Amino acid sequence: MTQSDQVKIKTTKDSAANSLWNDSYIRLKKNRLAIYSFYFICLIILTGILAPLIAPYSFETTHMDDAFKSPGMPYLFGTDGLGRDMLSRLIYGARLSMAVGVITAILSLLFGAIYGGISGWIGGATDGVMMRIVDILYSIPSLVLLILVKVIFDSFHFFENPELRSLVGMLLALSLVGWVTLARVVRGQVLQVKQLTYIEAAQSLGIKGPRILLRHIFPNILGPIIVLLTFQIPSNILAESFLSFIGLGLKPPYSSWGVLASDGWRYMRSYPYLIFFPSLILFLTMLAFNLFGDGLRDAFDPKMKK
Amino acid sequence: MNVKRLSKIFSILFGVSFFAVVIGDWVINSTPMALTLFFAFTFFAMIGLFVVEKGLVPYTFKRILGSLVTLFVIASATFFMLRLLPGGPFDKEKTLPPKIKAHIEAKYNLDKSIMWQYGDYMFGLMKGDLGESYKYLGRPVRKIIGECLPASFKLGFYALILSFLIGIPLGVLAAAKHNTWLDQVSMISAISGVALPNFVVAALLVYVFAMQLNWFPPALWSGPLYYVLPVVTLGVRPAAVLARLTRASVLEVISSDYIRTAKAKGLSGKRILFQHVLQNSLIPVLSIAGPLVAGVLAGSFIIEICFAVPGMGKHLVQSVTNRDYPLILALTLLYSTLLVFANLIVDLLYAYFDPRMKLS
Amino acid sequence: MKKEFSVLPLLAVLAVVLLILPSCKQNNAKLEYGLSLDQTLRVNLATEPPTLDWNKATDTTSAFIQENIMDGLIGYSFDEGKVGLKPALALEWSSTEENRIWTFKLRKDVKWSDGQPFEPYQVLDGWKRLLDPLTASEYAYFLYGIKNAKAFNEGTLEDFSKVGIKVEGHQIRVELEKPMSYFPYLLTHHSTYPVRVDVVNKFGDSWTEPGNLISLGAYNLKVWDHDKAVVLERNPSYYGEPAKTQNILAYMIEEPSTAINLFDSGRLDILLTLPAGELAALKKRPEYRESPILSLYYYGFNVNKAPTDNLLVRKAIAMAIDKKEITKMLNGGQQPLSGWLPVGLSDHSGEVGLPYDVKKAKELLAQAGFADKEIPKVEISFNSNEDHKRVAENVQAQLKTKLGINVELKNEEWKVYLGTLSTNPSPMYRMGWVADYPDPDNFLNLMTSESENNHTGWVNEKFDKLIKKAVSLSEKQARKDIYTQAQKILIEEDVAVVPLFSSVSHLFVNKRIKNFPVNVMSRFDLKDVVVQ
Repeated sequence: MTQSDQVKIKTTKDSAANSLWNDSYIRLKKNRLAIYSFYFICLIILTGILAPLIAPYSFETTHMDDAFKSPGMPYLFGTDGLGRDMLSRLIYGARLSMAVGVITAILSLLFGAIYGGISGWIGGATDGVMMRIVDILYSIPSLVLLILVKVIFDSFHFFENPELRSLVGMLLALSLVGWVTLARVVRGQVLQVKQLTYIEAAQSLGIKGPRILLRHIFPNILGPIIVLLTFQIPSNILAESFLSFIGLGLKPPYSSWGVLASDGWRYMRSYPYLIFFPSLILFLTMLAFNLFGDGLRDAFDPKMKK
Repeated sequence: MNVKRLSKIFSILFGVSFFAVVIGDWVINSTPMALTLFFAFTFFAMIGLFVVEKGLVPYTFKRILGSLVTLFVIASATFFMLRLLPGGPFDKEKTLPPKIKAHIEAKYNLDKSIMWQYGDYMFGLMKGDLGESYKYLGRPVRKIIGECLPASFKLGFYALILSFLIGIPLGVLAAAKHNTWLDQVSMISAISGVALPNFVVAALLVYVFAMQLNWFPPALWSGPLYYVLPVVTLGVRPAAVLARLTRASVLEVISSDYIRTAKAKGLSGKRILFQHVLQNSLIPVLSIAGPLVAGVLAGSFIIEICFAVPGMGKHLVQSVTNRDYPLILALTLLYSTLLVFANLIVDLLYAYFDPRMKLS
Repeated sequence: MKKEFSVLPLLAVLAVVLLILPSCKQNNAKLEYGLSLDQTLRVNLATEPPTLDWNKATDTTSAFIQENIMDGLIGYSFDEGKVGLKPALALEWSSTEENRIWTFKLRKDVKWSDGQPFEPYQVLDGWKRLLDPLTASEYAYFLYGIKNAKAFNEGTLEDFSKVGIKVEGHQIRVELEKPMSYFPYLLTHHSTYPVRVDVVNKFGDSWTEPGNLISLGAYNLKVWDHDKAVVLERNPSYYGEPAKTQNILAYMIEEPSTAINLFDSGRLDILLTLPAGELAALKKRPEYRESPILSLYYYGFNVNKAPTDNLLVRKAIAMAIDKKEITKMLNGGQQPLSGWLPVGLSDHSGEVGLPYDVKKAKELLAQAGFADKEIPKVEISFNSNEDHKRVAENVQAQLKTKLGINVELKNEEWKVYLGTLSTNPSPMYRMGWVADYPDPDNFLNLMTSESENNHTGWVNEKFDKLIKKAVSLSEKQARKDIYTQAQKILIEEDVAVVPLFSSVSHLFVNKRIKNFPVNVMSRFDLKDVVVQ
């Protein structure tokens, strides 16, 4: 889960941001594993975007006479209990899983960064109160919080369409749980950067707070945040699969990889291919994100590479 | 007797009772209550000694007070959030005659105003009364927790031990053989450990070791043999996290100045590794222990469902769908309390082991 | 500093232990709780029984245990697949005044598990406790037919002696408010079992724990390891023929998938439910058993909401749904229903119900004024569940292609759905019913104007009167005729509901188990089960 995947982030004290980015890029390029992983992630995202063009069937069309067909022709990865083509469902699943991972990461980043930024910048009593709230949320194990929030979202009719409701509920629940970590990290970074001389210089020149925050502080702490995001995305995708497993996931016919894997788990004895393919693709994607994240972190932190 | 010596005696007692509990559980399939209590006592006594020795009493006191406030806010927020949910605990498929439903609601005070119920709940909480389950009639929530917690606790505890046993050596190995194939292989296997949902790992292990090889039972919780698969499944993730962290930490220490000095002095590689590097690099690893406990808690729901472990996990999910308010509240509080105090203990240990660390 | 890390070698020892232990072969003949395999039947209950208090339990899991540790006045017989009654604690029973006054002659040779004799007043004690408002039992309404029982339960009458139950020697005399031909069926239900009030008073809520619980059935409660297992042990002083198997070991494994793994590895003998999605594969196995159950799956119409306030529209929709297509799609052995009574019930009649006739349905729609103008959307609501959704989608597609009606689906989480049903149901809503007792009254009573389960808003005096009249009759054919007539009003004339199908229960029974009871009421009386 998000908390256990926490990574150690080091701020750079290098004020020449541009040369740092260049150095990092060069270091990253040398890490072949990370680069391949990056290509793989791009490929998955592209698959998700182009799903309607690539998928041989629709994700919801049922072929009742072809239920539980083993992998072969014409269903390359077989069909599920309603005769839906697994390959097509996996391709559309890429779209949903990636959307869940990326959108929630961005939502929690936006909220966490703004919250943490403000808290760290203002400091004092405001910071104390704001961080107290974060501490409280941090004290509830994330899955407990996820379950409570998800059930509440599912119970209210924000949208008429139940499938959309469950998708939006999922995104909101995951972001609500995820922003806490980011808020903490951003606040810590802001506090550190605030001490640096050039920020003090800018302040004494009369530049306003928000401007300093946007122009000078955020570019400086972007590196660590990007690294954190690369780790946040896979853990969100995994969290979604947990929720699906306990029946709080997306509603059919929508199917993320998590939904497919947990459905497959239940049919594993009779139809092992139903769990095999979703797990495999899930595994490769998680691997890619983690390797890429490691690469990024090493690239931003020159001490790690000898 | 000075504190230092006392703490040494306690660590020995702790170690002995710890293994008495673990081995007692494996060999005779149950641990006597007295042993468990003794274990818990020495554990807390040790921590108490740390606290006194380091002059951390005011700090600890402040943290505990803060935790209580946090838990109070969590309890209140959860209480009101639950009442917002549509659907009540006694809405059934076969609709009840209104009078009968009224009797039941009166029995659980659900007919009173919400503020009254809140006050009643908080008052009960202060007395240590968690209320009575709506679903399991006549079963106090305290009892449900008492009956289910040992299995969950055991599962999590063994998984943590396992993860330390695998994670730390793997991390050290990878760092010691930095940039060789051994490093690559151990890191890729560590990343693989976090790359699969728990239930898929469970499926894999059950298929191979239970259904095909028939070495272990595929589920249930009736003895040491039954523990193996769930503990391994739960331990994989924290082990992977620990391995990566240990590796990073060891690498950092190796490149530090004083190790370089030691090398320059001509000390042997092995000696440096075990005497200097290991001790110093394991301290930061402690800092992950808090989140690790949280991760194990979260992971255990799924594992308990997959392996039919009679723990708390299934209650958490079911109590929400049943609208069993007292049980949901109690579980949220329980898990939060565990997490809050695990974090506190980790911080204290950290302060003990790392002399540079200052708590205030 | 060094000392703290000296635990590492000890951990290494532990690791070795971990590795060696699995090689010790497991002794298969011994089970948990010291039971021996060849004398124990192992079943999966799926969940922890919410309570073993038979006055209060409402679920099948609790019933499973209660029906084996206790007996009611009357029991079920399932000879040759027909549901009937057989004597249990009552040796014989009879009625006068058109089924209004009932007398039950009780056995004298019955002993409770603590050696005390069973006395008639204990039956009264149980019924009094069931009806007591302080007990807050959900099944209190089971006895509402007894004179003044309802008033006592609602708190308007405080004197229990005014309730129409009397002990006369070794007989119990029951005076009902009005005639009720099916009254004996109610006495098979666990909520009406006799209760030892002395035990309940002594132990309070914990009287259902092993050691405290006193029962008189074929089995005694030996262990209740909460959230893990229940163990039953043969009652040696049972008044009937003693149970053939020494022990029942009931686990609580929630995931059907996990339970099948245990079954396949020889650690479970009986699975009471199977995962629906996998039936096609599981049906082929030799351990598979199935039985129709007395259940009903239907769509109700909200007759106060457009467009289903129009009888012609309702009728058209009902006639355009091909129920066979639905059961074929579900592929779980369900049987399509045209009438309101499930197939296993003796009063079931295939002649009731509207035929599947698309041409006629189209005509009806035209008649209703929708020949050229578009029909408003119809909303179908159901609680979130894969199967309900599949059914709803199938109906949606059928209505679209056959009648051009646009259907919108709305699903809600279970508790939310129940709330919506009682306040503002959709024009069409899904609901189901499983028999409490195998009598048509249990099903048809649902749709009377007094019933809390009638969410349609439909009221028909003639229907209400027929249902009332039927329960005063003893003669079978006459009753059946009245029920047929009532169903025709409900389904053919007023079309307040569309019955869709009745379900089937699926079990796995290990080869070593003989005589496992499989019946329409899902009653699992384990006395005669033999383990080999």
